[in-house]
Amino acid sequence: MFETKSGIFLIAGLGMFALAFLSNGLVPWLMYTNLPEKTVEELIVEQANDPERARSVLTEFRDLHDRYPEAFARYYGEPTVESCAVALREGRRVYVAEGCWHCHSQFVRPVSNEEPRWGPVARSWEFQNELQKPVLFGTRRVGPDLSREGGRHSNDWHVVHFFQPRWTSPDSVMPEYPWFFDGSTHEGPGAPNRRGIAIITYMQWLGSWLKQYPHYHQTEALWPRGIQ
Amino acid sequence: MTAALRNPTRRRLLTTAILAAVILVPAMLGFSKKFLEFLALVGNEDGAFAVLPVLNYLLVSLGFVFLFGWALLHGMFRNIEQPKFDMLANERRLDDEARCEDEEAWDRESF
Amino acid sequence: MTQDSSTASQRAAPLVDERLVLWYFVAALVYFAVSLLGGLLMAAQLVHHNPLRGIEFFSPGRWRMIHTNAVAYGFIANAFLGALHWSIPRLTMKPVLDARLSWFIFAAWQVVVVATAGGILAGQAQALEWGETPVWVDPLAQAGLLLVAINFLGPIVRTPGPLYVSLWYFMAAFVWTFLTYAMGNFLPQYFVPGTGGGAIAGMFIHDLVGLFVTPIGWGLMYYFVPILLQKPIWSHGLSLVGFWGLAFFYPLTGIHHFLYTPIPMFLQYGSVVSTIAVEFVVTTVIINFLGTVWGSSGEVWRSLPLRWFYTGMLFYFVTCLQCALQVTLTFQALIHFTDWVVGHAHLVMFGVFGFWILGYMTYLFPRLLRTDWVSPALCEWHFGLSAGGMLVMFTDLVLAGIFQGFSWAALLPWEDSLRTSIPFWYVRLASGLAIIVGQVCFAVNIWWTYQAARRRAAAEPTLAPAE
Repeated sequence: MFETKSGIFLIAGLGMFALAFLSNGLVPWLMYTNLPEKTVEELIVEQANDPERARSVLTEFRDLHDRYPEAFARYYGEPTVESCAVALREGRRVYVAEGCWHCHSQFVRPVSNEEPRWGPVARSWEFQNELQKPVLFGTRRVGPDLSREGGRHSNDWHVVHFFQPRWTSPDSVMPEYPWFFDGSTHEGPGAPNRRGIAIITYMQWLGSWLKQYPHYHQTEALWPRGIQ
Repeated sequence: MTAALRNPTRRRLLTTAILAAVILVPAMLGFSKKFLEFLALVGNEDGAFAVLPVLNYLLVSLGFVFLFGWALLHGMFRNIEQPKFDMLANERRLDDEARCEDEEAWDRESF
Repeated sequence: MTQDSSTASQRAAPLVDERLVLWYFVAALVYFAVSLLGGLLMAAQLVHHNPLRGIEFFSPGRWRMIHTNAVAYGFIANAFLGALHWSIPRLTMKPVLDARLSWFIFAAWQVVVVATAGGILAGQAQALEWGETPVWVDPLAQAGLLLVAINFLGPIVRTPGPLYVSLWYFMAAFVWTFLTYAMGNFLPQYFVPGTGGGAIAGMFIHDLVGLFVTPIGWGLMYYFVPILLQKPIWSHGLSLVGFWGLAFFYPLTGIHHFLYTPIPMFLQYGSVVSTIAVEFVVTTVIINFLGTVWGSSGEVWRSLPLRWFYTGMLFYFVTCLQCALQVTLTFQALIHFTDWVVGHAHLVMFGVFGFWILGYMTYLFPRLLRTDWVSPALCEWHFGLSAGGMLVMFTDLVLAGIFQGFSWAALLPWEDSLRTSIPFWYVRLASGLAIIVGQVCFAVNIWWTYQAARRRAAAEPTLAPAE
């Protein structure tokens, strides 16, 4: 069997691949079938209806509407659950298209002091939704982890940051994204356009599913403590 | 010693022995340490957690060993080194043919 | 092949379609150039010197994806297909299934690669690392992989066994590549969200390297090294141990790309264990190639292709040793997310497989063009600049990774890790430029040699090169 061509084809080619897929692919797949995949609308409504929280991603979406009424009306109409879902889906698409996920991760590890820096360690249920299909864990951090980013910065901050990252973060090596804005000049960004509103909404959504939202950085207070 | 080193067979043996020691001693030390840690785990609460994956691997490998034995019994691996000689012979034949063609072309060209 | 009628009649169809091999190599080098430029853009961005800032179609984020995809599907896939069109017919003594199909695959694959690049530039990337091919390209590429498998399995299945080890690797690789591509591009995209999909995406990342690039790469080494050394591989039996070891352990390692994620810990442990097992397998392969070159090590210095091959193997051993360390959870805590991993990836993709590809190109271009290299000195420069650049880049990025890891773990402000990285990123830019200059030497040399071949063909029409 081993030395024959059918052996190579069946055992090595199909068999060993199948073994690995069953043990390393199918097992985790089936393990999370008890957590149904949530749609974007479900995610938004869930947090908006939670009486225990003051803010949700809809809060930020409405804030964008108040700050940029004309642009908002042109691209998204009224700030409803439906238009917010449209913006979140588009935001995720932009996040993928611009390669954001290659320099920003979306999970917090239980090691290397990540909990004090970023917030609670990542749990499986956080990823069982439409906006994590395929999942955006990421494998590199040139910039910070973003899975607890939502609510930490204002929408204005994001507008300036996407237009010229070094105006808000002087050491940043992040590229500029002037194509997220309409009517920009040398002095500053215009109003965010369809993609701009979408990516900022997506930023504000990240981590908004946690009870503690926004989850602020603690690093400065912690800094002189050194490695634990 | 120098005489021994001049003998190619001896030199090869010595190199192999030194390399084996350099690789195997730390590897064995590391493995023994981890294995003892593993044994210490077997008794307590996390035991099943640690033992199960190892057991799974062992079981799968066992199936593999049986298949291998079966293959051996059915006459495979009797002449395991032959393909490497055939491959070189093929290659030489192809190169010779190519050379002949080039020469033929050359001959036609010169007449 | 532009052979005259009498030669052509002796052998109805040529065993090797040399013109196709040449075209594949040229295509590979074109995409390699694109990829290098993408890397250069990203490297310049990281040191605040991107000359093309704020232009949507030159966005470094998009070019970063073109950089990796052009290497995987443009450079490596094309260069491998070219070499397979050379080696499989010569190993089996039979031409591929259908010559017209070969050309169709060639054209179709270039469409796939160009469509991938165009799609990514237009903002249609798929959220799958190493598989950012837009979703509408995926079925096309999948069909292409099926045709490739059929075309090459044709001569292989008609060859009486037992097969030579290269063919073992190739045969399995055709099955694996097809399955890997299907698994990675369709399951997380349409069926498996979140953590479970992450496990599958991790397997895709690693299987693409381990079950497509690695088996074909080693299969080609098992072919080219013995014929260049004019002696058989040291132990064919040991090479089969390497094959089965790879087949068993490699597919099980994928989750090691996502250690400390919410993926169940027992699966993470499993992937760590099998990764370390892979390193043992790798050691047997390395021993086999050292055994082969034993007694003729002088050849490695004299023959440039062999020098490329063995330098690649040395780098392979380094990456695998590094991998056995970095895959442990202890190392992961420090080096994951850092440039350490970037250094590792560059050493594998360029330092190993790129070197092997450039090595057999150095060997095959003169044979395909029927003319010796016009400038052996430029060949030396190509090797020297590539090897030197790679070594510096690898060392630099690994060190940078350690600094970044400690900076983060020490809870220093995030910007601190950037300020620490900038000097390393300058060195990386310089080493990348050295590699680029090396490839320019190669391109110039190919052009000169091609011109020389043309001149020679004009003088002696029957000796026309495959063009």
